[in-house]
Order: sequence, then C-alpha cells, then structure tokens
Amino acid sequence: MASKVTRRNALKLAGAGAASGILANSGINGVTAKPLPARQDVHEIVHWSWLTASDGEVWQQMIDAFNEAHADQGVQIRMEVVPDDQYGTKVLSSAAAGQAPDFGWGTAGLRADWIDKDVVLPLDELMSAAELDLADFMEHALQSSRYPTYGDMLYMIPMDAMSLQVLLNLDHAAEAGLDPSSPPQTGAELLDWAEQMTVRDGDTVTRSGFLMTGAGVQPSVTWGIVAHQMGFRRAGDDLTEAALNPEAGQAAAQWVLDLFDEHRVATRDVTDRYQAFGTGQGAMFLTGPWTLAGYVADGLNFTSFKMPQVGEDASTYFELGGLEMYAQEDESRYEMTAQAIKWLSDNSFLWTTEGRGAAVRQSILDRDDYQTSGVPWDLRAAFVEGMSEAVIGEVPVKAAPDFTIYTGSGFVAQTMDPVWANERPIDEAVQMLAEQWEADLAEG
Amino acid sequence: MSEATLQRPRPVALARLRHATWQGERIDWSAYLFILPFFLPFLLFTLIAVGFGAYVSFTEWGVIGDPTWTGLDNFRRALADPFVPKVWANTLKYGLIVVPATTIVALAFALFVNQRWWGATLARTVFYAPNVVAVTVIGLVWVWLLDTRFGLVNQYLGYLGIPNVPWLTNPAWVLFGIALASIWWDAGFSMVIFLAGLQDIPKELREAAQVDGASRFQVLRHIVLPLLRPAMSLVITLLIIGTLRVFSQIYIMTNGGPANASASVIIYIYRIGFRDFDLGYAAALSLMLFATILIVTVVEMRLLRVQRW
Repeated sequence: MASKVTRRNALKLAGAGAASGILANSGINGVTAKPLPARQDVHEIVHWSWLTASDGEVWQQMIDAFNEAHADQGVQIRMEVVPDDQYGTKVLSSAAAGQAPDFGWGTAGLRADWIDKDVVLPLDELMSAAELDLADFMEHALQSSRYPTYGDMLYMIPMDAMSLQVLLNLDHAAEAGLDPSSPPQTGAELLDWAEQMTVRDGDTVTRSGFLMTGAGVQPSVTWGIVAHQMGFRRAGDDLTEAALNPEAGQAAAQWVLDLFDEHRVATRDVTDRYQAFGTGQGAMFLTGPWTLAGYVADGLNFTSFKMPQVGEDASTYFELGGLEMYAQEDESRYEMTAQAIKWLSDNSFLWTTEGRGAAVRQSILDRDDYQTSGVPWDLRAAFVEGMSEAVIGEVPVKAAPDFTIYTGSGFVAQTMDPVWANERPIDEAVQMLAEQWEADLAEG
Repeated sequence: MSEATLQRPRPVALARLRHATWQGERIDWSAYLFILPFFLPFLLFTLIAVGFGAYVSFTEWGVIGDPTWTGLDNFRRALADPFVPKVWANTLKYGLIVVPATTIVALAFALFVNQRWWGATLARTVFYAPNVVAVTVIGLVWVWLLDTRFGLVNQYLGYLGIPNVPWLTNPAWVLFGIALASIWWDAGFSMVIFLAGLQDIPKELREAAQVDGASRFQVLRHIVLPLLRPAMSLVITLLIIGTLRVFSQIYIMTNGGPANASASVIIYIYRIGFRDFDLGYAAALSLMLFATILIVTVVEMRLLRVQRW
C-alpha cells in the first residue's frame, strides 16, 4: 500500500536517521563504531613557511630530507605554506587560539612586537639544550637575531644571510661594449654604465639602464641604501634618536629621482621588476639572491656584482632569514622542535648553495664544495662576498616595519612614493619619516 | 511494563509550544527549522562579527590579549591621520568614475540586446561573460592589457595616434586604469538588471508614443528612462556600495600605488588591520566607511525617488 509522505513523517524519518547516526557513532545503541587503526606514535612538528618561489622548492627538499632522516625515529615535520602577506595575521591568530605552529620562518629584527606579546620564544637555553653549536655561527648573524631591548636574547636561529647586489644583463653589456669583469665601483661609474645601456625611443625609456619601478620596493630600497651610504641613519645605535643626518637622506632621494628625470636611465612605467629584468627591460637590477635560481632556470644571460659606492661607503641592504619558535600550551613540544631546528641548521648546505642567501655557519663556508655547488659561483659570489658590506638591516623595535626600507606598501614606501611621483617635496617626506620614527623609538 | 509507563503524558511546556499561535495563526515551527542552517552561520559569522567589530573600534587591540577600552580615541586618530582624507578622496574619485560610466555602459548594453535581432542572445552572453570571471583573474589580465609599453590598450590607441598612456604607473591615470577593468567586469551584471526593467515596460506605451510622432530618443527620454527608475536606483545603489568597498582589483593591479594614488579605504583598512595588527583603529575606520556608505546610499535613493525625468 502506498503511504503518503507528509511533512511530519519526513521530519520524523530525518530525525530518526540523524539520531541513529549519532548513537551508532557514540556506541550507545549497542552498536560500537568500528575502532580506528591505532595511530603510530609519531611526534609531528608543525612548521609554517612563507617561501613560495624557487627558494620554497629547495626548502621543501630540506624538510623532506629531515623527514626521511627521521623516518624511524618517531618525529616528522609537517610543513604548511602560508602566503607571506597573511603570515603575521595567521601566526598571531593561531597563537591567540593556542594553536600556533611549532616553528616558522622569520626575519631578524622584525619580531619585537611578537616578543612583547609572548608569541616567539627566546632560544638561548633551548638551543643550548639541543646542543646547537652557536660558536659556529657568524657573530654578526647571531647578534642580528638578538633583541637588545628584550634582554639581548636570541629569538631566531639564522639560516641564511642576504644582501642586495646588482644583476647585470650580459647581452646588454656586450651590446654597449662594456666589460663585465670590471663592473662599476662608484656612483659615477654606475650612472655611466646605466647611460650606455639605456635604450630610448624619443623621450621614452624603453630599456632601463638601471631598472626601477615608479613606486614601491625598488625606489624605496634603493633610496634606503644610497641614503645610508651617504651617512643617513634611520635610528641611532642606542635606538633613542631617529633620522640622523637628514640632509643625506634628502640627497639620496634626489639621487633616485634623478635616475628618472635627470639622467633618464630608468622609467616609472615598469610595474613588475622581476619580470622586467627577466624579459630584458632592464640592464642592471638591484636585487637579492632569491632571484638567482629563477633566472638561471629561465636561461637568462646575466652576472652579478657588488653594489657600487654611491656615497661614503659601499654599504648595502642586509636581511637575515631564520627559524623562530612559537609559544605552545604544551611546553614539552619545545625539545623536539629545537632538535629539528638544530638538524635543519646543521644540514643547511643545500639551502645556502641552492636555496637562498649566504651560509651563516663557518663550517659550511669552509667546505671545499661550497663554491662549486648549487647556483654557479660567478652569480653567487657578489652575494656571499658582499655580506661584509651588508649592514642596513632592520631596526629591532616594536614598530620595526615602519623602518623597513625593503617594502612596497609599508610606511617608508607610503611616505616616499609621492616623492618619486614628484607629488611631495623631498624635505617634507624626510621630515615625515623622522617624526614617525621618533614616535616609534619612544614606544620601544 | 505497565500501560501507564508506556503512555506518559506529553510535557505541558512542549504541548504549549506546539499549539502556540501568533496573531491568531498557529506557528509552524518547521519553517524555523528550515531557516536555521542559514541563520546560525549568519548569526555567528555576520551579526556577532559585526557587533564585535563595532566594539573593537572603541578599543586598542593587536590580536593577542584582550582589547583595551579607549573610547573615541580611534575616531579622533582617524580625524588627525593625514592618510585618511587621501584614501577617502581616492575612493570617492574612483566611485565618480565607475558609477556613472558603468551605469551608462550597462544601459547601452541592455538597450542593445533588448532589441529583436539574430545576435541578441549571443550579445547578452558576451556582455555578461566578464562578470562570471573571478575578480582576481580580471585584475591580472588587465594589468597586462594596460601595461604602458606592451599593453594591448595602448597598442590600439597607438593606431589612432594616441601616445602611450601610463594607465597603472602614473598617479593621474591610475584610477582610470583600474576603473576600466571594473567597468568591464561589472557592466554585465548591471545590464541584466536593466534588461529585466526594460522587459517590464509595456510595449503599448512605446507604440502609443511612436504613433503620436515621438522619435526614438524621445521614447527613450520620456517613456523608457522614467519607467526604468527602480532598476536605475538599484543599479546605482549596488555600484555605489561596490565602489566604496573596492579592494580586490586595486590590491592585485597596483596595491594602492603609485604614490598611494589608488589606495582605497579598504586597502588602508587592510594595511592597518593585517599588516600593522592595529585592529581597533582598523575597526574604527571600517565603521566610518559603513557610515559613509549608509549616508551616500540614503542620499542617492532619496535623490532618485524625487527626481522627475
């Protein structure tokens, strides 16, 4: 007999179905759910990384190597890639929820705010317990990973050191009859080379001799480097005074502006700097070692040389990447994580020859095969040997991002971008920087 | 088991609930059951979130720890922040380009495809197609199209003898460049609304006007446009709200540059909230944006209501 399915009956049936499902799963109804297979006793360390380019692939190999080496030792790393523009938000949110990853990638000098919030851990004792040989590290790298305002404690284990140096398109140099084995050493020589390799169509620069973008990272970091070379300091050594020698900062800004308007060796029309250099829209390009592997893979004919001395010295941008540990509710996790970081540091040869920057461990730098492995040495040399001039790092205060010169949308870029567009006087912009930085330093 | 145990009386409260009435009608509780799957997430992720956001705007909060009550400090800070007028002006300028342009283009599209001709269906599909593409894709494609030196747009303009326009690299042009992408993306959706409005206009009205000697322009001016007012109001309202909240196109195409010339309010809120982790100030700016949208929308709707065509 056909029965009518009323709404009430349908609801009863649905309710009964749901209830039996719940009972079946909870085992109350005499039907015990099938037991899950017993989990192996593996300690899983959660690692977050924001490396996504060719360096990310090498880092993945490092993590795979760790997991393979520890396959029988009950510990594995689970790596999750978090986009760098979301990294901060996600780490802070997960920490607030008590679910922070065990360790992740950091940049020296940028974590004072997180230290203040107890999100990152001091590592001196943990690494000592893990028997990481801190004496093997370059002193400058270790010191840059400490925070003077937070007991001078070590909050990051450095993995590689980076500087900005100049890439040179060899085809363009050959076209202009320039000898790449004697690259420019001074600001005047740099401009001369740039002039010779610039291609113009009427008033329009169609190939930049010195590649820039009209706004964002490229002019900001170039200004920051040249300003430092000319004697400008974002903050004093004791972190109490801001914008020392502002005239030098102004002169450097004028130097950058002149690249566009006076010397006309750069165009503001470039938006994607990496792509522009890769496609021959620029002859010289100030950049970091993270671009090397990609350009090599693309078959670009290029070399590198050290940032010339535009001002009083040849200092350049310094960035130190490393691993930091995040606070956990279960503190027993720290030991395993520290051991994992020790292993990754001890085995960072691949990372520092193929992955990204220069090694920060003397034992790796001393290896015979350090120069012959990975990305060709003639491309890496400037980035390794140029580390001695790489001194323009982060300012280790809570508002460190305000001082960052390698930024596309941070405070420095926000303030200086109108200068590059001829919409704000240079002195006004430097004054704005000084005022904000003074307030930031006062905050500590 | 006794009979009494088997036939337990229903609880009184439950029985009352079952027989509850509202304005003389018995309440059908199953309806509420059906809206529950929508209402619960809406409550959790929208209503409570909005309420919490409003609360946070009166606090100082950096994700970790509890928010600290600061009263109106964040709003005072916004009034003194030199960047706030800049991003509000950018957003309003962008709206002044996009809202009228999209409205006109969408109306033209709708009038075009509303005619009876063999390609009307295809034209509708073609005009609507950009709207189904993700805004991220639109942004990436238009970055290429608008490239100063290699972009197709400049190439075609070059054929007309127009020199290269720095669409995305010059502060004076950047909002127009982004607006082009937005108009291309959004016009199809607005066209559909206009099309629905056009198809609701009785054919007899146009025919009567034509019999009385009205030209096609006069029919459009005195018959079609007045009767399209509800659709027009809806389109403009949606566009205003959309432009005041613009984020994705700008984030992908220029990230607010050059020289902050395309930094919109939401881009600034994003930077404050998710780069600087100053959530209290970001929430205050969001509340101010909400007030702006509300005011502009109410004014626009009132204007359209009293407007005589």
